Amino acid sequence: MAQQDIALMAHLLRRAGFGATREELEDYVAQGYEATVEALLQPDEAFPALADEDLIRRYHVDENSLMLIDSCQTYWLYRMINTRRPLEEKIGLFWHGVFATGYTKLNQPKAILNQIDMFRRYGLGSFRTLLGQLSRDPAMLFWLDNKDNHRDAVNENYGREILELFSMGVGNYTESDVRQCSRAFTGWTIRNAALHTARVARDSVWPYGRLDWQFEYRADDHDAGAKTFLGHTGAFDGEDIIEIICAQPATARFIARHLYNFFVADEPQVPAWPTVPPRDPKAIAALMQAFTDAEYDLRSVLRVLFNADFFKQAAFAKIKSPTEMVVSTARLAGGYDFPAVEDVELALATGAMGQQLLDPPSVEGWHTGQEWVNTASLMARVNFASQQFADVQKPGVRAILARLQAQGPILSPAQLVDACLDLMGPLSVTEPTRRELLEHAMVAGNLNFVADETSAVERVREMLQLIVAMREYQLA
Amino acid sequence: MMSTQNLYRYSHTIGFYGLGGRGFNNPVDVAIRRDGLLYVLNRAGAEVDSRMGYKRVSMCALDETYHGDFSTGGRGPGQIMWPVAIALDAEEHVYISDDALQRISVFDKHGTFLTSWGRRGRGDGEFDRPAGLAFTPEGHLLVVDSRNNRVQTYTRDGRFLGAWGRGGQSPGEFNLPWGIAVDQTGDVYVADWRNDRIQKFDATGQPLACWGTAGTGDGLFHRPAGIAVDHEGHICVADWGNERVQILSPDGKVLAQLRGEAGVSKWGESYFSSNQDELAARLQADLEPPLALPPTDAKRYESASIEKLFWGPVSVKIDTEGRLYVVESCRHRIQIYCPHTSSAVR
Repeated sequence: MAQQDIALMAHLLRRAGFGATREELEDYVAQGYEATVEALLQPDEAFPALADEDLIRRYHVDENSLMLIDSCQTYWLYRMINTRRPLEEKIGLFWHGVFATGYTKLNQPKAILNQIDMFRRYGLGSFRTLLGQLSRDPAMLFWLDNKDNHRDAVNENYGREILELFSMGVGNYTESDVRQCSRAFTGWTIRNAALHTARVARDSVWPYGRLDWQFEYRADDHDAGAKTFLGHTGAFDGEDIIEIICAQPATARFIARHLYNFFVADEPQVPAWPTVPPRDPKAIAALMQAFTDAEYDLRSVLRVLFNADFFKQAAFAKIKSPTEMVVSTARLAGGYDFPAVEDVELALATGAMGQQLLDPPSVEGWHTGQEWVNTASLMARVNFASQQFADVQKPGVRAILARLQAQGPILSPAQLVDACLDLMGPLSVTEPTRRELLEHAMVAGNLNFVADETSAVERVREMLQLIVAMREYQLA
Repeated sequence: MMSTQNLYRYSHTIGFYGLGGRGFNNPVDVAIRRDGLLYVLNRAGAEVDSRMGYKRVSMCALDETYHGDFSTGGRGPGQIMWPVAIALDAEEHVYISDDALQRISVFDKHGTFLTSWGRRGRGDGEFDRPAGLAFTPEGHLLVVDSRNNRVQTYTRDGRFLGAWGRGGQSPGEFNLPWGIAVDQTGDVYVADWRNDRIQKFDATGQPLACWGTAGTGDGLFHRPAGIAVDHEGHICVADWGNERVQILSPDGKVLAQLRGEAGVSKWGESYFSSNQDELAARLQADLEPPLALPPTDAKRYESASIEKLFWGPVSVKIDTEGRLYVVESCRHRIQIYCPHTSSAVR
């Protein structure tokens, strides 16, 4: 099996999923690149995404009731690790960053987890449908105050953000458009809004825990009058507005830049987009064209993206988000195949690295790329990854050991370094980094699994822990 | 099927979400003392230092008089981490299984820690996720050893007496069994959780009957968790994945189904008395809203949205008066049902 095929497949799975073990990579390579892209885009739905949803709920009773944010975070992270449909989770994470909805205001993390589930179902389909679902999503309606958007008292929060942060970006609409857009979404609210508002205000979970929220359309509170929006005039409601939004070139461009930033290579942050051009205008143009040609079908856009040379040539052009760091490392080291009381450490680690899932810092979501890394977060990243590889009994570590042993009873220091780098990615490292690893490996000489297996295993563990502490391991 | 009212009718609800003290936190089981005192086992959630106090055994009465609690989260002697089941022996000592700590812990009736045994493994006296507990008429403790797919028998002081069962789908085989009950004649009933069925055994572990398969219809189960048998031989099953309780005749025919009818408990009324604005909003709200059910997991979605319905019915128990207790882990409460012949007790 060609090394470049493995490397390219590893790149695809880091981006369209959360990394893959060597065994998984070999299976994917056997299927072929394009077939794997298709399988990721259109997974077999004969089986549930998660084989052990019932086990999670049985053992993690708090992940059945989903009252607490870390219970919800742990549930999602465990799901990312064990899903049969990695792109479904990845697209959920993508939209969570774009349509950022936060626990801090809602006090109801399950509502955001329900929103993530909506992203799983609609996040790869039509953007028009997705925006429609988003506009009915109870967490979003609460987050951006559309429950307070009334026929006779318009609240512009959602009407503004759907244009500024969810579809077109600033500079592509007027204040009047914001007003008219907001009018179109009047009456789109949540059922029992007064009760839920009162409960959120005091974070009431009494008497018996939280109650899920539901969308409600109130015709009596909807402004059915004529509106002029982006040059179109009519008695528009929210769906009409979404239709007009989707047809704007600005929307195609905005979504293309978001997809490129998340799946291909780190870009400047969204606020800079009006003034800073994309790093690869041709790539953005190709994605925009796909978006328009496929009538906003996101699966079609991603098919173009994953099969494009600009994607294939972008290996390690991104810094792993905390979620990617935690999930990909946990997948590689293994040991998260049955619910355990310690699973919450996944959520705690992700938060320590600067990404509180389900609680983004603002409606702008997280700033990505280099902004993920500072002194504290880098320590947290390295410590977590190193801890995952500290236990040689973990199935992923054992699998790496087995493959190393299969290369022969004795490995030279160079063979040890190169084989570990290969099995941990394959990872591409600079020559100084490789030299550093090699110098460390040379101190103890050849690795001999036959003469002293215990020592050999310990040296491999040490090498793996050094590798995950490298700069290169921070990259996706 | 008989109507629900002909077997059990709703009496009242005990419970309230509580971090400590009065209230429950993801309760998973209840044991009922002869004098009516309830030991409610609060599993709570993950191993987070600041929340170890959520894990505890609450003591209260059927009328919701609170009598304190004992044990707490942790890994030391007398502490609990992921408690699963609770049972009382003839001396009313309290036995608790813990599937994170892989052990059985024993307390006296006041909550003083006495002893524990068990460790992770497959051998005699070892466990892999111990779950349901029940005492035989002879006073031996049956422990569902879930991931080992067997039932172990112990003396009250923890001496291993034997084990039966193995993994599989045939009669006498299990797939992650959970709850267990013993009837008046000593026959044993096991909620064979991942096989979506109930199995009945004689006292030696010989299979006698097997009821149910996966599904949502009458007599079908989705991950049955808890089981109890009343003095007439009715088999009550906490059909956990279907968010309901099914009541079977002694020969396994479905007689009734319960979906939950919870009202506000006394502890809840106390909360609302000092939070009148929330009560006012509640009284104005439609607490049973029409739902656009998702394509999968509709029952769970219903339960998360409509407060009175069972959500996470994990354990059922029956007291000496024939009252049925349904423990709901996600709603932090116990719904009490009375046999139709008795009057409500509150």
